[in-house]
Amino acid sequence: MALATSSPAANLYPWSMAPLRAALPSVSSARIHSCSFSTPLRSLRTGSSAKRSLRCFTGLTPTVTIFRTFSETAPTAYTSSDKHSCLLSWASLLRDKENVRYEDGFIATNNGSKFFAMRHGKRVPKLNRPPDQRRALIRGLTTQLLKHGRIKTTRPRASALRKYVDKMITLAKDGSLHKRRQALGFIYEKQIVHALFAEVQDRYGERNGGYTRIIRTLPRRGDNAPMAYIELV
Amino acid sequence: MTTCVDPLVVGGVIGDVIDLFVPMVTMSVHFGSKHINNGCEITPSLAANLPTVNISGRRFDRFTLVMTDPDAPSPSEPTLRELVHWVVVNIPGSTDASHGQELVPYMGPKPPLGIHRYVLVLFHQQSEFRAVAPPTTRANFSTRDFAVQCELGLPVAVAYFNSQKQPAARRR
Repeated sequence: MALATSSPAANLYPWSMAPLRAALPSVSSARIHSCSFSTPLRSLRTGSSAKRSLRCFTGLTPTVTIFRTFSETAPTAYTSSDKHSCLLSWASLLRDKENVRYEDGFIATNNGSKFFAMRHGKRVPKLNRPPDQRRALIRGLTTQLLKHGRIKTTRPRASALRKYVDKMITLAKDGSLHKRRQALGFIYEKQIVHALFAEVQDRYGERNGGYTRIIRTLPRRGDNAPMAYIELV
Repeated sequence: MTTCVDPLVVGGVIGDVIDLFVPMVTMSVHFGSKHINNGCEITPSLAANLPTVNISGRRFDRFTLVMTDPDAPSPSEPTLRELVHWVVVNIPGSTDASHGQELVPYMGPKPPLGIHRYVLVLFHQQSEFRAVAPPTTRANFSTRDFAVQCELGLPVAVAYFNSQKQPAARRR
């Protein structure tokens, strides 16, 4: 077990950590294993638990454990209440960031935010492109849609496009010089902007939003990508 | 939800060209070997020749077929809506459109800009037409007005397809 015994701030926490330490798997800092999961069968077959080093995922654990700050008091009689208080204290210790020393290898952020590995709830379509290319793609597609009235593209692109086309038509409905210049900064061809500002009142004067329609169609032959027509309503 | 919405409504055909109707007659359109489903993509070269239009119905029925393009000259600015491509009257039931009289000769799709819809509308005639004045120009045709003028009522069958200009072969 790689627990440092001496520490100047060790006597802050007088609770007995022995039962807790016995319950948790030992993380060896001397030998950092690669990320491989231990098979339960193999761990059962190995011998004594004292020498056993669990090959567990060590990527996110600190190289030196945070148990350094706990004192090595003499193990008292093990009771369940002891274990509860140990766990609670350990949890509270994690929250008090100033008492825990994080070594390199642990992701620590200042504001206490967590790092998620999933995309839950994020609504921006990335379109498999870096941000500058994504913006250029969307600008190009809205320019073409406003020019041709109906285009055929892939379904994710069509559904990403709706917001920006509606934005452009809303700018045109407003009609002021500032909005015209904002539209000129987004659409690549200025003839289209001027034509849009001229005709949008007759076409979309009564309609509030929803200026596009998406019609799904057969997939593309080359890569079976689901295609859709997007058209101005 | 959207799975049971008619493709004619989704494609905007009902609304732009015709009104909501109840299909009474089955009509199948073929360009060569290619069958027309609603909203399928047909190249102008494939649609240059007359399609074969098979109509069900009784022998003594008469039908009128109208083919128009509501997106002329461009879907973003359909100033010439609609452009009539083909009008055939007095088609007997359960036959081909070639058995009728061509009022407006067939013109293949030639979309100059954008993706155009081409709509084929079938009406049921009350009686045989003797003398119907063909429209003077192809542009600014109205299928609804034509139906009112000839007392055709609501359509009995509709099909539509999309077509766009093929990119010209690059000279190497």
